[in-house]
Amino acid sequence: MFYDRPKADLLDRLIQFPWLLIAVATLLAGIGCVTLYSVAGGSVDPWAGRHALRYLAALALAIGLAMVPSRLWRSTAGAFYIVALGLLAAVPIVGVDALGAKRWLKVAGVSVQPVEIMKVALVLALAQFYAVLENSRRASRPQWVLFALTIIAVPALLTVRQPDLGSAILLTGVGLGIMFLAGVSLWWFGGGLALMAAAIPFAPALLHDYQRRRIETFLDPSRDPLGAGYHIAQARIALGNGGLDGQGYLQGTQSQLDFVPEKMTDFVFVAIAEEWGFVGAVTVLALYATVIVILFVMALKADRAFAGLTIAGTALMLTVYVTINIAMVTGLVPVVGVPLPLISYGGTAMITLMIALGLAMSANRRA
Amino acid sequence: MAVVGPTRQRWLLSQPATAPDDAAVFTRRAVVVGMGNAAVFGGLAARLYDLQVLNGSQHGALAESNRSRTIWIPPVRGRIIDARGRLLATNRELFRIVLYPQRGTTRPDVARIAAELSPRFGVEGAELEARLMTALRQTNPLPVILADGLSFGDIAALQLSSIGAANVLVEPRHQRVYPELSVSAQFALAHIVGHVGAVDRLSLDDGPHLKDPGARIGKTGVEAGAETDLSGVAGRTVYEIDARGRHVRRLDERAAISGRDVTLTIDLALQEAVTATFATAGRGGALDGPPSGAAVVLDIASGAILAMVSTPSFDASAARAAGPQWRAYTADPARPLVNRATTGHYPPGSTFKMVTALAALEAGRVTLGEKIECWGEVTYAGHTYRCWNRRGHVATDLHRALRESCDCYFYEAARRTGIDAIARMAIELGLGQVYADAGIAPQRAGLIPTPAWKRSRASRSSPSSRTGWLLGETILAGIGQGYVLTTPLQLAVMTARIASGRKVIPTIVARDSRDPLPEHAPLAVSETHLVALRRALSAVVNEPGGTGQAADPGDGPTLVGGKMRVAGKTGTSQVSKASADRDRTKPLARTQRDHALFVGYAPADAPRFAIALVLEHAGSGGTAAAPVFAELVRLLIAHDTATVQLRSKTAPLPKEG
Repeated sequence: MFYDRPKADLLDRLIQFPWLLIAVATLLAGIGCVTLYSVAGGSVDPWAGRHALRYLAALALAIGLAMVPSRLWRSTAGAFYIVALGLLAAVPIVGVDALGAKRWLKVAGVSVQPVEIMKVALVLALAQFYAVLENSRRASRPQWVLFALTIIAVPALLTVRQPDLGSAILLTGVGLGIMFLAGVSLWWFGGGLALMAAAIPFAPALLHDYQRRRIETFLDPSRDPLGAGYHIAQARIALGNGGLDGQGYLQGTQSQLDFVPEKMTDFVFVAIAEEWGFVGAVTVLALYATVIVILFVMALKADRAFAGLTIAGTALMLTVYVTINIAMVTGLVPVVGVPLPLISYGGTAMITLMIALGLAMSANRRA
Repeated sequence: MAVVGPTRQRWLLSQPATAPDDAAVFTRRAVVVGMGNAAVFGGLAARLYDLQVLNGSQHGALAESNRSRTIWIPPVRGRIIDARGRLLATNRELFRIVLYPQRGTTRPDVARIAAELSPRFGVEGAELEARLMTALRQTNPLPVILADGLSFGDIAALQLSSIGAANVLVEPRHQRVYPELSVSAQFALAHIVGHVGAVDRLSLDDGPHLKDPGARIGKTGVEAGAETDLSGVAGRTVYEIDARGRHVRRLDERAAISGRDVTLTIDLALQEAVTATFATAGRGGALDGPPSGAAVVLDIASGAILAMVSTPSFDASAARAAGPQWRAYTADPARPLVNRATTGHYPPGSTFKMVTALAALEAGRVTLGEKIECWGEVTYAGHTYRCWNRRGHVATDLHRALRESCDCYFYEAARRTGIDAIARMAIELGLGQVYADAGIAPQRAGLIPTPAWKRSRASRSSPSSRTGWLLGETILAGIGQGYVLTTPLQLAVMTARIASGRKVIPTIVARDSRDPLPEHAPLAVSETHLVALRRALSAVVNEPGGTGQAADPGDGPTLVGGKMRVAGKTGTSQVSKASADRDRTKPLARTQRDHALFVGYAPADAPRFAIALVLEHAGSGGTAAAPVFAELVRLLIAHDTATVQLRSKTAPLPKEG
């Protein structure tokens, strides 16, 4: 590098920006707007317009975060994690009920979901933890593996209890992914897999009734075609209706006529696949893959462990979101309530992901 | 990693020496994660390919039925009208209240609907609720009829406000009604008009609207026989619906096409008169009670069924009410509900000799002048066959054999001709078949036996009964006994075909008066043989020694300018062996007595009407059935002159040779 980094001015910082990443993310959010316009029956209201505004706000926030030097995040990561954990723990006590689950906290009139804060906080905390540990041999020592597992498991368990199985899976997946990237010995992973296999028979006891029902329905959707199996059956009809090249924009009968439940949130991918067909669905999948590849390339170029792990953690988060969501709507895994980031209507997931992207972009800059 | 850039070496700031490979570990593992990621995304793409492209059409086909609901509009059934425009069956507009179950109709909704409707229609609330819940549990729920048979006033009085939102619709529909008629008319028409009833399992596929629980189709009589004309074509309204079953918009609408009105060839007045005449038949004769049997009167030129009687009959209006009277009819051993004219299986007896005669002549096995000796009985292959006349007929030619109904002559003629030729002639003359276009149901085909039929029957029943066709079976068939079975309608058709030389096809549905008369194909029988046969049939009634002299209508029905002659053939069909072997001094139980038959046409020289009569267990055809024929001819002529001024079909009769 040929410029004086500490004195880099705003213009330099902007030039350094991963514009391709922002362009693809914006394209995905645009696809979200276009799809939400269609599922509303060809109307900007009530979803497409708000979705666009939310994305612009989240993008501004991400760029703002990217401007902040990443050492600030690094130094506050531990505290951030503890605050997030405190909020998460407060939910069962002072949380607000919505749709049979306690997920929200009302702070000064603003509703927040502590688990969303935790998703970002966990990535930062683990990145910082492994940066402090300094090498993979120490990272593989039992006490540190146990420590890392604890800071993953505590928020994950609190989240399962809310109940929010989707977010818990996301926390666990991202956390374990960071541990793997940080170089924790493969023996630990092998042992963990063996333990999990042994624990599967006992899992049903830990699940809520509705979660168990979803898994049962997943295994046999015809058991209850108008009840819990309805999501899966209707999604399958709409996907089939899409075919290779789709019904055409604004022509998706199944998603527009409300047959596909949650067509604007968790099942929005079905609407895309119905109107644009297999070609459109794979294109969207490829755009996500592009974002993930850009992030991994950024992570590999990073000059610090904290930066590399933060960026990779963001890539993992996006991967887990997309994989679970599409696997869910195509009936490969049970319906767990994970949105498709940037496309699904709903502010929380988008803001979480954009904050993570902002932190990744911040880490990308040479500190 | 072979190449590690300068920035890489600063990966671990404090202890670069202790773990020189850590940056490489990160790179390696990132590549592993990336590859795993690619595999997962590839798997998702494969899954999408499977669901959308490979199996897409299968699931996609469900999309159309998912988003539309078709409400079928039943067609208005055609009316049934007699030959003089009297209404015999029509429709009344009524209303019904129907619930179209939809996703999202919940148990509280059902309870509310049930609570609201039960006091108004006298249905138990719990029972109604149970019915609704059952319907809702179906994957593809059928509409539930909440109330039926409501008049416009009932509908106006109902306040359906609170259930209006729950897909409860008021639908007009048409109920079949049969106008009030006199009791005698009810009895006379019972088998002809028939009735409608709920759709049976087999007919369910004939039209989608038939799946409606309120749908009705013809079950018997013209209602069933002319179903295709009467039923019409269902209309439909297709709605686009959303996931909750609410109508979004109308996608398609097609009005129902009403069924065609069916005008019968039956004139109620004539039908009643024929029925009344038939009911007095056999009074004071061999019968010790009301007669049972059937009569069919055909118009030879058109094949129109002018009258059709089956006794005992029943009060159609009482039977349609499906009350205790209906149960009494079904339990009655006299079986009044059976239409004997179209489904009664009777051995044709000597009336079948016309078939044997034509078959033998056509095959060249007997000639018109040839005489065959009859000594009262004849023996073939060790079996003895008797003539009805124990004294025998000496040497008879065909003319005399028919006139006096000599059995021996026809045993020999049948033996020479063979069963297959006889069966072919029977089919040619209209026996052994149903007339699908006759407009009346049910019908039975009767039985014209052949060796092939016997083989197939034997293979179906026990193999031990498998014997080949026997000579004796041909000989018995030659006089219309043995296996041979016919219906009165078939016998009337046979008579009409012999009288006209054409393949008359019977129908009970009047042709449009503008249409030309149906052109019936000529019979495959030589005219010479037909003329000889007709002359013999006239001799049966008009020559001394004829068995059917009682069929002569006498001087009563003089048409303008002269006496009318008729022609026909008697038949006395044996029901049980007892009647043949009996000690003639003892009376037989009624059910063992012979059936009396007479078939004939009038006038003999220019045939217009063909009549077949079967009087069950009434004794001999010549004494029991022939007088009824004479009365029916008188009745027909009187009716004819009363209605139409008869065209001059009354040229002086040629002398018979």
